[in-house]
Amino acid sequence: MELKINGKWVQAEVDPAMPLLWVLRDVLNMTGTKFGCGVAACGACTVHVDGQAVRSCVFPVAAAAGKAIRTIESLGASDAPHALQTAWIAEQVPQCGYCQSGMLMAAAALLERTPKPTDADIDAAMTNICRCGTYQRVRAAIQSAAGQTPKESLV
Amino acid sequence: MKRRTWILSALGTTGALVVGWGVLPARSRMGSATSMLPSAGDVALNGWIKIAQNGQVILAMPRSEMGQGVHTGLSMLVAEELDVPLGRITLETAGPDKIYGNVAMFLGALPFHPKDLDAQDPSATVIVSEWVVGKVARELGLSVTGGSSSLTDAWEPMRMVAASARASLLGAAAAQWGVPVAELSVQDGVVQHASGKHAHFGELAGAAAGTAPQSVQPKDRMDWKLIGQATQRVDIPAKTNGRAQFGLDVRLPDMLFASVVMCPMLGGRATAIDAKAALAMPGVEKCVPLETANSDATLAGATAGFAVVGRTTWHARMAAQQVQVQWQQRSAGPLDSARIHQALTTSLASESGHVFYETGDTAQAEAQAARLVGASYNAPYLAHATMEPQNCTARVVGGRVEVWAPTQVPSAARAVAARVAGVDVEQVTLHVTLLGGGFGRRLEVDFVAQAVKVAMACDGRPVQLTWSREQDMTHDFYRPMHVAQFQAAVDAQGVISSLRIKSAGDAISPRWMARTLPALSGPIDTPDKTASEGLFDLPYGFANQTISHVATRSGVPVGFWRSVGHSHNAFFSESFVDEMALETRQDPLDFRRNWLKDAPRHLAVLNLAAEKSGWGKPLAAGHARGIALHESFNSIVAEVVEASLQDAQIRVHRVVVAVECGTVINPQSVAQQMEGAVIFGLTAALYSRIDIRDGVVQQSNFPNYPMVTLAQAPHVETHLVPSDRPPGGVGEPGVPPLAPALANALFVLTKKRCRSLPLEL
Repeated sequence: MELKINGKWVQAEVDPAMPLLWVLRDVLNMTGTKFGCGVAACGACTVHVDGQAVRSCVFPVAAAAGKAIRTIESLGASDAPHALQTAWIAEQVPQCGYCQSGMLMAAAALLERTPKPTDADIDAAMTNICRCGTYQRVRAAIQSAAGQTPKESLV
Repeated sequence: MKRRTWILSALGTTGALVVGWGVLPARSRMGSATSMLPSAGDVALNGWIKIAQNGQVILAMPRSEMGQGVHTGLSMLVAEELDVPLGRITLETAGPDKIYGNVAMFLGALPFHPKDLDAQDPSATVIVSEWVVGKVARELGLSVTGGSSSLTDAWEPMRMVAASARASLLGAAAAQWGVPVAELSVQDGVVQHASGKHAHFGELAGAAAGTAPQSVQPKDRMDWKLIGQATQRVDIPAKTNGRAQFGLDVRLPDMLFASVVMCPMLGGRATAIDAKAALAMPGVEKCVPLETANSDATLAGATAGFAVVGRTTWHARMAAQQVQVQWQQRSAGPLDSARIHQALTTSLASESGHVFYETGDTAQAEAQAARLVGASYNAPYLAHATMEPQNCTARVVGGRVEVWAPTQVPSAARAVAARVAGVDVEQVTLHVTLLGGGFGRRLEVDFVAQAVKVAMACDGRPVQLTWSREQDMTHDFYRPMHVAQFQAAVDAQGVISSLRIKSAGDAISPRWMARTLPALSGPIDTPDKTASEGLFDLPYGFANQTISHVATRSGVPVGFWRSVGHSHNAFFSESFVDEMALETRQDPLDFRRNWLKDAPRHLAVLNLAAEKSGWGKPLAAGHARGIALHESFNSIVAEVVEASLQDAQIRVHRVVVAVECGTVINPQSVAQQMEGAVIFGLTAALYSRIDIRDGVVQQSNFPNYPMVTLAQAPHVETHLVPSDRPPGGVGEPGVPPLAPALANALFVLTKKRCRSLPLEL
């Protein structure tokens, strides 16, 4: 199967029913995308398919064939980080960090669609689970990356 | 059993180790160069610090990073003493040497009342117990990240090892340049002299290795440049680009993937496994039974089951569903949480329990009381639900075992790997990865035991064993169910004259020892501090108190859950404090202040939270505040919750946190931990319960064990009370006050007291 991942075409001999998550992680060794729940409930596996945030643990790889798949590995480059990555570091968002690839990909899809999101936009788009409870820093970092000042300071 | 007697008996369980002690001063934790893993070109100055040729400092890291910022915190101590920027420190997983053991965690497990520990003139029991346990802990050298103890434990030794390394480096420079050490300074890892001579650490390390420092002292507090400064965490950049390596991210050549299925009935087993259909599926390699052979220690407490090994995790998961199994309940019969709740309640009346704390004469105060006020509280079983499901990667080749694990307890992970593989522990190499959440779940080593067992069947190929979310949630070591009965006496003047608390629930520590470190385990009914913490150690000055606990044996696997006994006991006690305030017609804040006259540290924390929250000032219509104060893990936290009811749902708007956690290393990490603890506590208070029916855990994934998400997250602000005490804990102490503060706010809103978790309107 021909897959276009982060701008490059790759060949993967896989069962078309295999979820995209496992193709990325276990076949292509792209481990930035995480397994969290397997039922699209937590968002740790969020990637973009043609610009849409999808939960790759339930997304059959066949449905992504030929489409533009984007993962955390290409969100930014080390010399040119994505505005969200810069904001994530400035706001010190992650704790354990396991959910953060999915958080960042969900946030990136939000900003591409809605460059100046309101708090309600963020509430609606960011349904990912973070067990460490980094939510208010996620919100602040998204606002900051969007060039908006967070409403309340953190300390 | 009298209190003194059981402390001695608890010590007796480790008594065998007392024999053969050598002289082992605290400084022995510095270790020697041979404690570190050798690496070409690097020079080890002691058991913790190596210097690379380019001057980079390599620090042996014995603690697990699970989001609490410990890699940054420990590095900051070292950077401070060495005068190097944080970026000049590289971490490597500490080896198995005993110097990396966590002594503070064991001291924290001693069930002394804070009053006895803070006494000017501690009793002989306190002194002897701390001395003996400290000594035993150093001798055991158990490397573990838990009990919010990492910075408390590292505080002295880490600064000493770095100060010692610095002294060696300065000594080498002084000898080379023929100048007095006193004329040297260090700037960003470069040793300098007024003459213009300078050399970075890498240029001096070789000579420094032979320069034993005489005596060293860590810096004075006033000279700190880094400690106490809000510092960006070293692990965060890699957590924004997918490069951070968690347990599940280990990739090795020729690697296989395994999926585990355990008996759905806790403690049960398979009577027959038919894997023919599964093995016929493409990409499937084998099916490995995971039996427990009647011994909890065999697979570290895991319920029996099987693992399917395949080309990818997905192949293994799909095939595991096709395995035909006949499951059997555990021989003692099916577990049932409703029945256990009934039994716990009954045991409060039928069993005398163990008295954890007694002061004054409670019975007399009750006899003379104008009236008695009583209430019963309860809390359910809870799962940890770390975002990274349990997993471990292992390879077994010719008597050598290599393990990659997200573990909080490297010593036990090595030991269980050796036990399962039937080799000496020296044959085990352990790589500790980043942890995708811990919260106490990764103090267990069941998944390590399983991975090694499966790897033994894989002909030398590495295998990554992953639990599904469903296995993770239905085969946890749950926070134990607890019940508690409170009785306060109110005297003729309307003042609280006594407090009696009796609780019941399973003890955690002895069971954890039995399954995790069987060589050290003792009697299962040894009184366990975790059962009564948050009840027996209250800061309020009630003159007459009797606090006891009935240790039960439910059979449910129970474990340490972020803040452990405090997590539910603080809900019980701080809710009942509000009940006592109401009964004596006082504002909840004033009531607490009145009973904290002899507890100035607690009072300062309480007052700061009250002030920053605007306690007593008007709120938006339909909003109410609740307050709670709780000490745990050597830190004191007060929280004020502002809540309302929206569409018959509880909505939390704002949480003000005040914390006194001793000397603050990184205020950035403290704020993060408080924010996270509030969300963790809020999820539990609003949603979480694990029910067991017919042996089967009913909640299996996030849809039926929901979490607070961003849209429900309140605004959290953290305020620090300055302190010169040594560092206290930070990872857990923010959790306990949340549930009672919320319950107290709810009472204001509804005039109905919630005495059960999760909170229901």
